[in-house]
Formats: sequence, structure tokens, C-alpha cells
Amino acid sequence: MNFRDRHLWIVILAGLSLGALGVLLSVWGNPQNSGICVSCFLENSAGALGLHDNPRMQYLRPELIGFVLGSMGCSALFREFRSRGGSAPLLRLFSGVFLMVGCAVFIGCPIKLFLRLTAGDLTAVAGVFGLVGGVWAGLKTMARGVQLTPAQAQKGSGLLIPGLFALLLVFLVTRPVFLLFSASGSATQHAPWLLALAAGLGLGALAQRSRLCVTGGVRDTLLLGHRSPLLYGLLAFVLSAVVFNLVTGRFNLALYGQPGAHLNHLWSFLGMALVGWLSVLIGGCPFRQLVKAGEGDADAGLVAVGMLIGAALVQSWGIAATAAGVPLYGKVAVLAGFIFVFGLSLVQREQVCG
Amino acid sequence: MLKLSLTSLLWTLLIVATAAMATLLLDASGEDTQLRPASFNKAMERDLAFQARAAFLQKIYAPVEAQLKAGNPQSALLKLDEVGRNYPGEAHGFILRGEILRGMGVLDQAIANYVRALKLDGDYLEEAGPLSRRTEIRQLVDQGLSELTPRARSNPDNRSLATTIRELHYLQSRLAGGCE
Repeated sequence: MNFRDRHLWIVILAGLSLGALGVLLSVWGNPQNSGICVSCFLENSAGALGLHDNPRMQYLRPELIGFVLGSMGCSALFREFRSRGGSAPLLRLFSGVFLMVGCAVFIGCPIKLFLRLTAGDLTAVAGVFGLVGGVWAGLKTMARGVQLTPAQAQKGSGLLIPGLFALLLVFLVTRPVFLLFSASGSATQHAPWLLALAAGLGLGALAQRSRLCVTGGVRDTLLLGHRSPLLYGLLAFVLSAVVFNLVTGRFNLALYGQPGAHLNHLWSFLGMALVGWLSVLIGGCPFRQLVKAGEGDADAGLVAVGMLIGAALVQSWGIAATAAGVPLYGKVAVLAGFIFVFGLSLVQREQVCG
Repeated sequence: MLKLSLTSLLWTLLIVATAAMATLLLDASGEDTQLRPASFNKAMERDLAFQARAAFLQKIYAPVEAQLKAGNPQSALLKLDEVGRNYPGEAHGFILRGEILRGMGVLDQAIANYVRALKLDGDYLEEAGPLSRRTEIRQLVDQGLSELTPRARSNPDNRSLATTIRELHYLQSRLAGGCE
């Protein structure tokens, strides 16, 4: 590894910031161990927009808006904004839905997986194994010819998702009457919105410059070993999250009684395996999809739309796991997700071979 | 030439439509509320429903509370059964039963009732509010862990005790917070 490489240090800076802000946003008001969680935030935001009716999960999370707009601003500044798309749009839309299913059954996205682990939550260990296993399986299928068709330049379409998130920013500021905000529950726990937005903008910009991605880090490490810059980004993320959790007194090493966690380890494993596998096939974890959507990738934008739909469905259909465990429909939905992945792989492999 | 003029026209129309939308939004202070059905204000509807529910619960469970205040837990349980016949599966009934049983020293049953209540309605965990029982649940968890955990360790084959410990961990997890 070349430690004089400027890009490596940008990746490390991004990882350090993600870990630090992941803990600090929780200190500033976000739910415990959930300072940053793309799936939880999408569930909250879907609720705020009236897409589901769980009255405890309705808040338009400024961090999400920040991720997309920060990425857009940064990519425009460095002339990296490229409007592109057209790669298996419906498959990506459904992939987004099933990403949320996997996250909801585990209770958290890959970023929250590591935030939970670095806060001492031992139930997250099954998720780590699942994520690594899923990424490994995704890589194996890709190595055998499964890949989505390449994207092409598409004028204008890359602006739609940043435009949508800009509109959400207007909603956040003007608070129109149709926007819903929970009066009780975890959605009432949030950092001051300007602080959350600033953190999101900063992280979005850094992630755009560094290409930081949790599943990407795992993937590159499996492929390149210690030569992968993203490995160091991931290590920086974990290290800074551990340090900040220890400093702020939020480290509690235990299997039982952890916030937003359940003891169905098999389903935690399978949920994260689904997320890891899908993320490899579509080119990034939920966080990375938002960042890519911000830099003009309409395919990632469709994944983001799919994630928003999925976030609403996991709440409306009782798919999301709780501290009580994984509901029946959650288990069924994860299995449906795997059926989707296997089917997708079969179809896409045939196209490549055919 | 035609293409250029079409482009100019489209840009002009885009700017005009954007300006018109911005003007409408900025100028819409209050006027729209007269045209909107009352049901559109979901936040207000929800607050009203919550307040009404809290008041209704206080009303229907008032006889139970009265017996509890008078120091008659057995009579309170009987009253609770009476109310439960009309409103089976109501979370507040489980909360009150848990409170009564805890007072009577039946810790495992008290824990089971609090768990049933929280699975039905998480509002009992709020820091404040008319339904909040957060302090009581925290005290119950502390008491349960200190009294029951050593017993469970010395009786690893006791299934009902193991179930109660699992339920305690559930309460502990809900108290710790998280996204749900």
C-alpha cells in the first residue's frame, strides 16, 4: 500500500468522519447506536412523507438529504457529475426494495451494523458474518458471469434524484402540513436538524471523493487484501467509532439488553447476507447508492427510490424486526429476497453467456 | 434556427413555471387551509386520537385505580378482569396487571404482563406523557435482574425462569432505545 497516495488519506479521513459522526449524532439526539443508519432514516423519511402509518417512525431525516446533496455539490465542484443510467432499471428498483428488507430484519444498514458492533453489541457479530458471506457469494457469482448491463450516458436523468432530495430539503425547512412528524417513539429522537444536515452534507461530499462504501470495502479486501484503500477506510471507521463510543461512555459489551437488537442470530445473518450479496451485484451498499445517486447515477437513483418504497413496505407489512425478534413476514421477505437474487443471477448470467 | 428557438422557448417556459410555483408557495399563507378537508391535518388528528385514548383509558380503568389506591390489590385484579371482558387485549390492562402483580411480589407474572403491554404499545416507554411507565419498568428490570439472574444461574434447567430472564432482556433492550 502506498501511504503517500493522496486518495488513501481521503478514504481514511472519510472513514474517521463516518465513525465519529456516527457516534456523535447519537450523542446529539439520534437514537442509541443509530447515529447514522440509512435504512432506519429511510423508514423514518418514508413515514414522514405518509408512505407508511407507523406513528413512531415518522421524521424527515436531514442526514439523508445531506448525503445526496453533499455528493452532488462535491461531484459538481470537482467536475465528476455525470448523468448516466439505463442499466437494468427494474432489477435495481427491486434490489433497493430487498436491500431494505435485509436491513429491516437485521435492524440496520451496514453502517449501523458496525456502529452497533463498535458500541459493544455482540448480536451484531452474526450480521458481520452475514455481510462478509453475502459479499463473498456476490463476488463468486460475478466471477462466473453474473453482472448487470453497463450504464450509458443519459442527459438529465441524473438530476432527478438530487432534485427530489432538494425538494425534500424544501419540505424540511418549510414543514408543509402533509409532512408527518412522530409525537412518540424513536423518530422523536433526532439531532438538531441543521447539525444533522451539515453532518450529512460533509459525509456525502467525503464519501463522493473517497468512494467509501462498507460492502465495497469488504469486497475490495476479499479481492485485493491489504492493497485495498477501502480496507483502511473501513478500519478507520471502526477505530474512530470505537474510540468515540468509549469516550462518550456508550460502549457496553454485552449480548443481552442492547438497543434496537434481537437475538434471532440466524435471521440477522441472513438479513445482512442478503444486503451484502445484493450490494455487490448493484455496486454498493445503501449509503453508497445515495452518494452515487447524488453524482448523477440514475441507476443508483432507482435503487434509492426502491429503498424508499422498501422502507415503507417493511413498516406497513410488518416485515421489520424489533427487539422482540423477527416477525414471520420478515422471515418470508428475506427468503423472497434470496429467491430474487438467485433468479436475477440466473437471468443475468444467461444474458452474458447467451 | 427552429431548434434554437424551441430551446429558448423551453427554457423560458421552465423558468416561468418555476417562478409561478415559487410565487404560489410563498403566497399561500393560510389561504389553502379553507379549501382543505379537516382530515388532511393528520398530525392534529393523531394528537387528538392520542389525547382521547389517554382520557378514555383513565376513565374505564378508574375503578381499578381506585381499588389500588385504597390498598386492595385483589379487588383491583377483579375489577381489571371485569374491564378486560369488554376490552380484551388492551395494552393498558396489561400494564395495570403488571403493576398490581409486582406490588404483590409476583415478579415473573408482572414482567410477562409488562412485555405484553410494550409489544402492543411502545408509548409506555416514553420519558414523559400521560401513559409513561418508563421509571416503573426500569425499576422492575433492575429488581428482576438482581433477584432472578442468580436464581436462573443456579437453576439452568428451569424453563419458566429462563423465559422470564428472556423477557427481562427484552425490557432491557427496549429501555436502551434504538430504532423501532
